[in-house]
Amino acid sequence: MHGTRGKMSRLDWPLFLIALLLCGIGLINVYSGTRIYNTPGLPLFARQLVWIGMGIFVFFLFYLSGDGFVEQIANLFFYFILACLALVLLAGSARMGAQRWIAIGGFNFQPSEFAKIALVLVFSRFFADRYGYAGIGFVEMLPAVGIALVPFALVALQPDLGTAGIFLIILAGMMVVAGVRLRVLLSLTALAALAVPALWFVMKDYQKQRVLTFLDPERDPLGAGYHVIQSQIAVGSGGFLGKGYLHGTQGSLRFLPEQHTDFAFAVFAEEWGFLGAIVLLALFGLLVYRGFHLAARSQDRFASFVCGGMTVYFLAHIAINLAMVCGLFPVVGIPLPFVSYGGSSMMTNMMALGIIANVARTRYTFQGQGGSETVGG
Amino acid sequence: MSESIRKREHDPLIVGRIRFLAWFSLAVFVLLVGRVYWLQVAQYDKYQTLSENNRLRIRTIRAPRGLILDRKGRPIAETQASFDLICSPVDVNDLAGELRLLDEIVSFDPEELDVIAEKIRAAKKSSPFSSINVMRDLTYEQVSVVEYNREALPGFSILIEAKRSYPYGEAFAHVLGYVGEVSDTDLEKSADGSLELGDIIGKYGLEQLADNVLRGVNGGRRVEVDAAGRDRRLVDEVPPQTGGTLYTTLDIDIQKAAFEAIGDRAGAVIAMSPKTGDVYAFVSAPGFDPNVFSRGIRKAEWQALATDTRNPMQNKGLQGTYAPGSTVKPFIAMAALESGIQGPKESAVCNGSYRLGNRTFRCWKPKGHGSIDMYRAITQSCDVYFYQLGRKLGPGPVAKVERGAGLGTITGIDLPREKKGLVPDEEWKMTARKEKWFDYESVLLGIGQGLIHVTPLEMLEGYATLGSGGRVMRPRVVTKTVRMDGGVSEHRPEKLRDLGWKAENAEFIRHALWGVVNDFGTAGIAKMPDIAVGGKTGTAQVVQMKGERVKTDDLPYNLRDHAWFVAIAPVDDPQIAVVAMLEHGGHGGSAAAPIVKAVLQEFFRQSPPGAPDNAAAAGKTAPSGKPPVKR
Repeated sequence: MHGTRGKMSRLDWPLFLIALLLCGIGLINVYSGTRIYNTPGLPLFARQLVWIGMGIFVFFLFYLSGDGFVEQIANLFFYFILACLALVLLAGSARMGAQRWIAIGGFNFQPSEFAKIALVLVFSRFFADRYGYAGIGFVEMLPAVGIALVPFALVALQPDLGTAGIFLIILAGMMVVAGVRLRVLLSLTALAALAVPALWFVMKDYQKQRVLTFLDPERDPLGAGYHVIQSQIAVGSGGFLGKGYLHGTQGSLRFLPEQHTDFAFAVFAEEWGFLGAIVLLALFGLLVYRGFHLAARSQDRFASFVCGGMTVYFLAHIAINLAMVCGLFPVVGIPLPFVSYGGSSMMTNMMALGIIANVARTRYTFQGQGGSETVGG
Repeated sequence: MSESIRKREHDPLIVGRIRFLAWFSLAVFVLLVGRVYWLQVAQYDKYQTLSENNRLRIRTIRAPRGLILDRKGRPIAETQASFDLICSPVDVNDLAGELRLLDEIVSFDPEELDVIAEKIRAAKKSSPFSSINVMRDLTYEQVSVVEYNREALPGFSILIEAKRSYPYGEAFAHVLGYVGEVSDTDLEKSADGSLELGDIIGKYGLEQLADNVLRGVNGGRRVEVDAAGRDRRLVDEVPPQTGGTLYTTLDIDIQKAAFEAIGDRAGAVIAMSPKTGDVYAFVSAPGFDPNVFSRGIRKAEWQALATDTRNPMQNKGLQGTYAPGSTVKPFIAMAALESGIQGPKESAVCNGSYRLGNRTFRCWKPKGHGSIDMYRAITQSCDVYFYQLGRKLGPGPVAKVERGAGLGTITGIDLPREKKGLVPDEEWKMTARKEKWFDYESVLLGIGQGLIHVTPLEMLEGYATLGSGGRVMRPRVVTKTVRMDGGVSEHRPEKLRDLGWKAENAEFIRHALWGVVNDFGTAGIAKMPDIAVGGKTGTAQVVQMKGERVKTDDLPYNLRDHAWFVAIAPVDDPQIAVVAMLEHGGHGGSAAAPIVKAVLQEFFRQSPPGAPDNAAAAGKTAPSGKPPVKR
């Protein structure tokens, strides 16, 4: 087929460069947010640099993989991740409480992160196989719900409702992309609206607290509302121009919880102000736009669905994380893609990006070239 | 799955769906931008303020001050834990009730109670999370009662702080000084900004002089406070650094002997080495209890000190100036000998008074001393002899010797706020008073009356110089400072000048001083069995009485004479010089001499003559005079 050089020439550079810019911003932000910590060994920003390096490697690993490879491994990958989730759950129950990762040689591997990717791939295959010109009907769609429920249950039991919620958002997004009939979508939306009160009864106390606190942070300013209030103070006190790099007080004085992971944007917005926030949001906007652009441009349904699904995945993370930091959404453990510190999320995001780039390359025919490419035997 | 179905030209449905999602994303981003705009631009002031108030709160841990040690390394100023009652205004529920209960436990001054209540009320509004020091230095009983009543006193708690403490209390008051909280002016003067509100600094004495050595570096606890301003957790703690150490020449035992000897009388007692200038003891009475200042002096206590007519806040040894009276006579004699104007064998006749023009100057012995030479004139303290000698010499030669020996000069002792006495001469009178010098002033100069006034320290410096034969040493209290960072600075004995007196003159004067004590002189009371003490009494008139001299005991206290006694011992090679000056104390011989003797006894109990001098650093010994000549 194509040599590596040929593949490189067909890389969607805008997508990749936006991601690298975001990584860079994330890196300097991690430095600012964590320089007060005395972590043993490598400082966190140095570790983040390692994650970025590894992430780029993972990106190319997937980007350079052969045509059709992603589609072939989709189901297998999904089963593997399910196994990991089950394993984490078992190990966690043995250790009293929340357990979200498997330690592999000093690397905390969080299968629930990768499960998001696996879901997109599995749904893409599933819907691509069932696609009809008139869209997909309710009965055809139903198995997808089943597919989603297995990881959902496993992750919700961890308990990690935030990630489990992302699974449902991915499912919903994929349904939209894959052409599930409008009537079905609307009915499901109505159903979901009715299910929300039911959800209340399955939530654990602290989760209810979070929701209540989100609705009124001041009712518990020292407990659950603390994070919400603090992160809004951080963002708000940044003002138009920001306090200046390394001059944020909220972050450096350790008022912010998780300031290098889930609340990274609070540190960033405090130091770079509204202008910086606009730049960051614009980059995320471009990333999402590029993802949808590639999805629309693909001539292959699987590729379209993968690009669309992955982009929905990015959008969900960006929107929920930023909304949470700005006090528009309850506090859930969802990192900001490329910007938050963390190995698992960096790997997952780079993997997702690599897969988008891969399918956009292999399943895309240049206009005017006519002809089509088939999967080489 | 068949490729033909899978692969197809742009499916309008899918593209439409994606387009929908893209618009949806745009909406999401617009919402987010709007929210960020709202927080950062529209509501900026609000959040800015919140973040300002949202810092870590630093709870200062006061650094203990460094030790001050006596010459044998025993602490004379140290640090103790003290228990302070503090109030956290935000937690006060029922201010009046809680204060009432506290009043039963610690009994506030009535007027202070209102001040405290007002302070807390104000803080409740302005800075509810601050902590206010309500009362320092509670007793163990008070602490335990406060702790017992914790439930009823939600707004109050006990804070343990390092407090300066002085184990010998009033005995060292004027030399060590005291510490206190920084004032606003202190803060303004603190150039390096090392001082913060609430810091304890030296305000007086050695504490003030060596404050930069003794003061430690405060530590702190960083406490995370949240949006609601409450302490959330201890973030970290930096332990305070104890201040540096001060090594002094003072001796606890000699100081105590001096302090006890002066008792409840007003005056000063100072002892020092003529060889090195080392100050063994420095007492000014009445004093104060420096521990009261460490605790935080109360208004009433301060009032009492400030309004006491005997002026307990003044270091009389350093800042009080008094007519020296007869204690100047050895200097007059020395001036005569050095200038060659009158030799030791030349006699004068004393018949009880000396006439100059139409004025009569009386001798203290109305019958007179008869024919008297210089030695006798000193031992008997004959006024007439020195009237005539003063007139003969005039102010010039007298001032030269007296100033040279340290009278009327700043001695340069390492204690703050030293004042200077005055040794007058023609030049001074011309510039200061625009008057020429009168003969009668020379006459009075001879017996240390008139314009001349000196501090006890200057007088001691003068006698130490007589003892050393003209080598003037700077009085020294601090021998060594060891800073926090380990930096050591040594303060060596310092010779200020050498007056170049002839050895036989110095020896003659020392012999005469020996005679004052041991040869039927005016201070036989100071005689010691195995030490050749030499000294001189002085009785300085406070008021010029017209006509007959009145017995000083018949006068009201504030008109009585000041009593002086200055001594050196042993006279052939003086190890120690001591001055005692009693304000309105009457006769030097009877009142002041016993005090000096008590100090000498303690000194020689420690280092009997013949034993090697225990002085930290002995300077070059003076050329040892021959044993006093027996007449």
